Amino acid sequence: MTNPHQPAVSVTGLRKRFGNLEVLKGISLEAREGDVVSILGSSGSGKSTMLRCINMLEVPDEGRIEVGGETILLEKKGGKTRPADLRQLQAIRARVGMVFQGFNLWSHMTILENLIEAPIHVQKRPRAECVEEAEAMLVKVGIADKRNHYPAHLSGGQQQRAAIARALTQRPKVMLFDEPTSALDPELVGEVLRVMRALAEEGRTMLIVTHEMGFARDVSSKVVFLHKGLVEDEGPSGELFTASRSERFRQFLAGSNG
Amino acid sequence: MMDFSFLYETLLTLLTGVPLTLKLAVSSVALGTVLAVALALARLSGIFMLAWPTRFYVFVFRSTPLLVQIFLIYHGLGQFHAIRTSFLWPILREPYWCALIALSLNTAAYSSEVIRGALLSVPPGQIEAARACGMRTTVLYRRIVFPLALRQALPAYGNEFILMVKATSLASIITLMEVTGLAAKLISQSFRAIEILVVAGAIYLLINFLVTRLLQWADYGLTGHLRLPPVSADALHRGA
Repeated sequence: MTNPHQPAVSVTGLRKRFGNLEVLKGISLEAREGDVVSILGSSGSGKSTMLRCINMLEVPDEGRIEVGGETILLEKKGGKTRPADLRQLQAIRARVGMVFQGFNLWSHMTILENLIEAPIHVQKRPRAECVEEAEAMLVKVGIADKRNHYPAHLSGGQQQRAAIARALTQRPKVMLFDEPTSALDPELVGEVLRVMRALAEEGRTMLIVTHEMGFARDVSSKVVFLHKGLVEDEGPSGELFTASRSERFRQFLAGSNG
Repeated sequence: MMDFSFLYETLLTLLTGVPLTLKLAVSSVALGTVLAVALALARLSGIFMLAWPTRFYVFVFRSTPLLVQIFLIYHGLGQFHAIRTSFLWPILREPYWCALIALSLNTAAYSSEVIRGALLSVPPGQIEAARACGMRTTVLYRRIVFPLALRQALPAYGNEFILMVKATSLASIITLMEVTGLAAKLISQSFRAIEILVVAGAIYLLINFLVTRLLQWADYGLTGHLRLPPVSADALHRGA
């Protein structure tokens, strides 16, 4: 099903500035189909911004984003860069599932309604099919009994699993995780990581911004370490965790007790 | 002593004004809401040429008495030859339309602020989640932003509706025979002001009692996500 030679996401020369602060200073990275890429770095290193540029929640000032071989068209107007073709961007976004630190479930909809929203109203798939698929997803992430509950009735860990299920019902080619466990109580982190590990084992393409060093080491096929808006080091996780060339990465690891 | 037959007669007379009162209240809130949404979106657009006139409009209509606005629209506009000869004159010379326009413009100014606040209260993360799954802006507003904003706005909006029911009484000043207009007419005929005004007041009380219940019911229906979780069907089956 997956073609391991095809780049699923490719980022080239990404630059982003917020006012006087240059957050990304020319980042390039690639994820092939089936890759699980963990993006590590201390806070302020630009890892979340980088991830959010992939689906244009942040629009980069410069650089090129390719998703599934298709380049997101950008244009410059009055010194600001913006997406040139909203239709194209929306079509690409529909193929990219995103999981947020703060879950961001739609609070006025039940869990099941959250899951079928994008498939029905964005992808225009038949409702019955979407419901069936959503219920299977809820079983998969272990919260089938919560399908008629509202997000506020769930624990953080359950909400995040629902959010992962919501992203999956889009049938995404790539999953982006933006610090998915950082807002959770420590005892709830495990249940979310277990779901993510199962997805990795299915061969899904995932890019994960995380502080969970153990998870990054065990689950990812590739690790990218960002420092001050640049890729400081990258490589297969086994190599990087045992023999990184980067003194900073070794310090980072020592500091995080991973 | 209480003259019950007089009160009953008065009630029957004043009740004939209720349809007009309700018609004015419902139409002005409906028209006002459409205008208010447009005003709120203009104000939030970040476009100077849209936002600034909106602020001015809201300032003018909130800062002057509704009574003055009704007078100015009914008596004032007719002073201009251009308006008397325009295609709008058949509308603007009718007291009903003048009252409706004044009430609508007035409630729109207040409601636009309620709606603006409600739109601002929609959590940015939930908007981002919708964008991230490829939702178009129109669908985003229809499915996510407006439903969330409505839930936020409803209590304040209910207030506005109640205020409008009462504000319709000002339309009596430009000859409209709604509840207050009929009451004023009865008073001038009978000079029994207290009894008539008590009956008129009771009618407004009853209307707003029903309005309040309706709003409570709507609020309850829309805020399930703020209450305790439902008992699941599975749990019911297990219990049975």
